[in-house]
Amino acid sequence: MTNAIEAKNLGKRYLMKGLGPQTLFATMTNALRRKKKEYFWALRDVSFAVPKGKTVGVIGPNGSGKSSLLGLVAKTITPSAGTVRTEGRISSLLELGAGFHPDLTGRENVFLNAAILGIPHEDIRRRFDHIVDFAGLHEFIDMPVKHYSSGMYVRLGFAVAVEMNPDILLVDEVLAVGDIAFQLKCLDRIRDFQKKGKTLLFVSHALQTVEEFCDDVFLVHHGRMVANGEPPDVILQYIRSYMGEGGYLYTQEFGTRDAEILEVVMKNEKEEETGSFESNRPLHVDIRYRAKKRLKKPVFGFSIKTGNGYYVFGSNTQIEHCPIDAIEGEGVMRLTLNPLTLMQGNFFLSLSIHSWDHAEQYHRREDWYPFVVKNTTEAEGVFHLDSSWKLKKDG
Amino acid sequence: MNVVRLFIERRELVLNLISRELKSRYKGSMLGFLWSILTPLFMAFIYVFFLRLLAGRGVPTEEIIIGVFAWQFTAMCVNGGMSSITGNANLVKKVFFPRVVLPASVTFAYLVNFLLSLIVQFAIITVLMRLDGSMFSPYVIALPAVILYHTLFNLSLAMLLASANVYFRDTQHLVGVLLSAWFFASPVMYNLSFVERAAAKWPLLANLYMLNPMALIITAYRSMILRDVSFPWTVYSACALLFPLVLLVIGYKTFQRAQRNFSDML
Repeated sequence: MTNAIEAKNLGKRYLMKGLGPQTLFATMTNALRRKKKEYFWALRDVSFAVPKGKTVGVIGPNGSGKSSLLGLVAKTITPSAGTVRTEGRISSLLELGAGFHPDLTGRENVFLNAAILGIPHEDIRRRFDHIVDFAGLHEFIDMPVKHYSSGMYVRLGFAVAVEMNPDILLVDEVLAVGDIAFQLKCLDRIRDFQKKGKTLLFVSHALQTVEEFCDDVFLVHHGRMVANGEPPDVILQYIRSYMGEGGYLYTQEFGTRDAEILEVVMKNEKEEETGSFESNRPLHVDIRYRAKKRLKKPVFGFSIKTGNGYYVFGSNTQIEHCPIDAIEGEGVMRLTLNPLTLMQGNFFLSLSIHSWDHAEQYHRREDWYPFVVKNTTEAEGVFHLDSSWKLKKDG
Repeated sequence: MNVVRLFIERRELVLNLISRELKSRYKGSMLGFLWSILTPLFMAFIYVFFLRLLAGRGVPTEEIIIGVFAWQFTAMCVNGGMSSITGNANLVKKVFFPRVVLPASVTFAYLVNFLLSLIVQFAIITVLMRLDGSMFSPYVIALPAVILYHTLFNLSLAMLLASANVYFRDTQHLVGVLLSAWFFASPVMYNLSFVERAAAKWPLLANLYMLNPMALIITAYRSMILRDVSFPWTVYSACALLFPLVLLVIGYKTFQRAQRNFSDML
């Protein structure tokens, strides 16, 4: 198998002074002053290879160089160092609606945009109805696009871009726009691409989507490739090390602190500390707490959300009929999930200690503990459902 | 020759960009395309009127009309070509395609404009000639050659200015001033007979004047269409004829070098 994309020591630097000398005057004075130019490396010394037919996700905090990486592969940016080689036709979903002219109608813009992307006119004419259908813009296709909403704009752009039938598709966080129905349609199209054996390079902050779609994940930070490997491990490393930086991680902590969560250790069946678990195996959480005074009938609770923020499950010692008389001083509470029926993905664990009547929240850590689950079964999905099959004879 | 092949391969893109340029130019205006004919006609009328009034002696109206239409073509290419990259920043930053099609399609769009206005121009000149009793020059069949030459000259200006404007935004202000100076340095509202009188006093100056490609192009148009205008063949004018071709090569090379950094500078 050959590589669809190959990068060697790829680097891109920009002038520190933002735009660089944009006026004649600034250029001349700079030349006179002989000021040393300061550069900023948006991307440095990045080498990688993407084999044909693979889907690779690129994750990292804002400003880490993800988009520069995609721009370099798409050839819209010229590298300052190193080389990038690609094989086959590239289409990038970076440019949704980029070529649209506001005064022209949707119909005119479809043909214009197609020409810019290099799709033959004949193909577009044949598929025109299909494109309009996909974008869901039947009534509006003869309206100037300046009257379109931003969602309509992007939908039309996406509908044209996927018509190109490229060998390599670059996707940059475009799926975040549009309503849910359109997002699902987009993801379907991306699955189609994968089935056809196309190569995908995928930038996204939606870690759950990255986890679901990608064979490999690159973690980029400060312009360097920090990690490169299987999605669960790289995603976990990302969440643990860098996610807080961009203010992205939505964690919260509150409570009266009469009882405090001191330390939390997540362990697998072998009692080893880890953040990465296998489905259908036990998961233990040891919660070390300290109660400043004697607290009667406290309740320990937990909840789990997916990386997308979808609430999966929540319970506590009260619901599980496991009342605690009282706590005082330090101690360890163990929470066990056995078997872990989550299938795959990245999740967040929240923990809390509160009073029996819920009137007083002693300590709550919301989305504080990330972990990933790897699928070891052949079944698919996020959650394991116990299922059985039985063939009943006719009649 | 690579360039020619490129334009043949991406002809759909070029054609689409040309039609975008033309469509968007006149969208929303009532007279639409008529403006591209009305503007030079009004200008020609103004020049004829004030020149008669001020200088007291006239340049044949036909010559002024030819001059103004040809000048208009170049001026539009200079202005449109200059902003062809900066005005499409979004496109240039996001999509990979040969950048040179942007200034080229602007130039070609104005060529289409020019060719259509040429029909009107010919109709008017025919009427004026009937009144004078004169006839078209037989060289008029060579007009396409002049138009091609003129277009290539405009294209080289568009490429040069498009890349210059990305690096230095001063370009647009500078060009505005230089364009009006150039207008007076070119025989748009006068003809070479005005220059010849000055040539008696300062021969060098007159020869330098002939190095201006627009002086040659406009005079070439006039000598191709009108019987009583002849092209001034001198060593200088022959050299000057080569100048736009050299400029075309320089313009293309400059553009190709400059385009590497377009997405960084925009």
